[in-house]
Amino acid sequence: MNPYLLIVLLTSLGLGTALTLSSTHWLLAWLGLEVGTLAILPLMAQRHHPRATEAATKYFIVQATAAATLLFAAFNNAWLQGHSDIQHMSHPLFTSMITLALLLKLGLAPMHTWMPQVIQGVSLNTGLIVSTWQKIAPFILLLQIKQIHPPLLTIIGLASILIGGWGGLNQTQLRKILAYSSIAHLGWILLILQHSTALATYALLIYIFMTSATFITLKKCKATTINMLTTTWTKAPTITLVAPLMLLSLGGLPPLSGFAPKWFILQELTQLNFIPHASIAAMAALLSLSYYLRLSYSITLSLSPNNLPECLQWRVNYPISTPLSSALPAALALTLFLLPLTPSALTLII
Amino acid sequence: MSYLVCVLLFGLMVGSVGVASNPSPYFAAMGLVMVSGVGCGVLICFGGSFLPLVFFLIYLGGMMVEFAFSAALSAEPYPYGWGNRSVKMYVAAYVLGVGCAWKVLLGKWSGFWGGILDESGELLVLRGDMMGVAAMHDVGGWILVLGGLGLLLTLFVVLELVRGVSRGGLRTV
Repeated sequence: MNPYLLIVLLTSLGLGTALTLSSTHWLLAWLGLEVGTLAILPLMAQRHHPRATEAATKYFIVQATAAATLLFAAFNNAWLQGHSDIQHMSHPLFTSMITLALLLKLGLAPMHTWMPQVIQGVSLNTGLIVSTWQKIAPFILLLQIKQIHPPLLTIIGLASILIGGWGGLNQTQLRKILAYSSIAHLGWILLILQHSTALATYALLIYIFMTSATFITLKKCKATTINMLTTTWTKAPTITLVAPLMLLSLGGLPPLSGFAPKWFILQELTQLNFIPHASIAAMAALLSLSYYLRLSYSITLSLSPNNLPECLQWRVNYPISTPLSSALPAALALTLFLLPLTPSALTLII
Repeated sequence: MSYLVCVLLFGLMVGSVGVASNPSPYFAAMGLVMVSGVGCGVLICFGGSFLPLVFFLIYLGGMMVEFAFSAALSAEPYPYGWGNRSVKMYVAAYVLGVGCAWKVLLGKWSGFWGGILDESGELLVLRGDMMGVAAMHDVGGWILVLGGLGLLLTLFVVLELVRGVSRGGLRTV
């Protein structure tokens, strides 16, 4: 892509999210969301093959529908209330409508069906941006809306965790697996949103680190299906060593960082006496864990049949360098070693 | 006066249905012309002087120009008009929707309230709509800059998405 256009698009991506994060009026928040949506479209359709074009079209239609619903509900609320402040919305119908629009933007069940298809259709780097950066702005808007109907958030959160778990079980394409993993993690975040915004923010932050590490690792291995993961040990033995830990962190096992958000969310839910919610969420996390384990099995725990020349790729091509390679050590360190530092990490957010 | 508003609003509905029922852009452009004309009339009946002209400008100079470009770039040998079956289904659906809304809301919205742009009922120099636009440029100047940046980004995005010598509907574009 033309480098000037690439700089304009990436800057506009940042500008859109910054606009939404710094706004108190719904019109400016909507403007930021729309700028972010528009800026990523050429990045998605970069390769111009039909699947990428279809993914860009689906993404645009979904995000535009959500933005239009958001604008409609925000202006109706402003008409009834007299002001367009994000933090002081009071009408219950339009608060729910805005919440549903933001959840459609985030890709939560039952409005999740676009997510696997869009992330499958784009390249791994663009999928990384869609999975991590584009979640920040709607999430911050969700944080600021008070008095959302509690059953709405609980039901959608639990449904997302379950659908993220069950949906990823039958997949062999890695980008679809990561899309369902994103749905499940955002379900956990939504579950705790009404009770503790600090924990929700912490969960989103850890999710962003884990997902970034996973996408960059897959890009380095040039792997898009589970079968392609089996040759990782020939390309980068270090990644073969570390990748299961990264995937188990996504699954939420101690002593890795992914355990901390799940642990605190379950603790908060139990303290507030939401025992069924905590039980369902904890058991549904096992579904996600099963497909992370399947990926670890392919990468590290088994040796697929191979011919001799291919077994020695690491002698010729080492180290594999992609543009995001320099971010991988940081992302991996944050994915694996953050659990003992959780008290100080949480003080940054509370 | 209220009868004129009713006639103009009926024309607005007809034109909007004609555009929204998804015919080929050649025909939808005519719907847009109709909507812009009667919409301008509706706003004039409610007392505006500047805003109806802006309405005309946006519909004819903005939306219809986009339809003209779409028609030029996606040449069709057999364009769908309003006689086409799928377009007629959409027309029927929208007319049904308007009918339902009329049934539900008839009696709840009564009376002719000309107070949007014409609160005092007398002839003024500084009308509400013009003062609103002036305030938007004065107090809201930076947001207009952001809106302009957003539109410039939209232009770049669209140009990048439709770029391609052999991938468009007409080969030389």
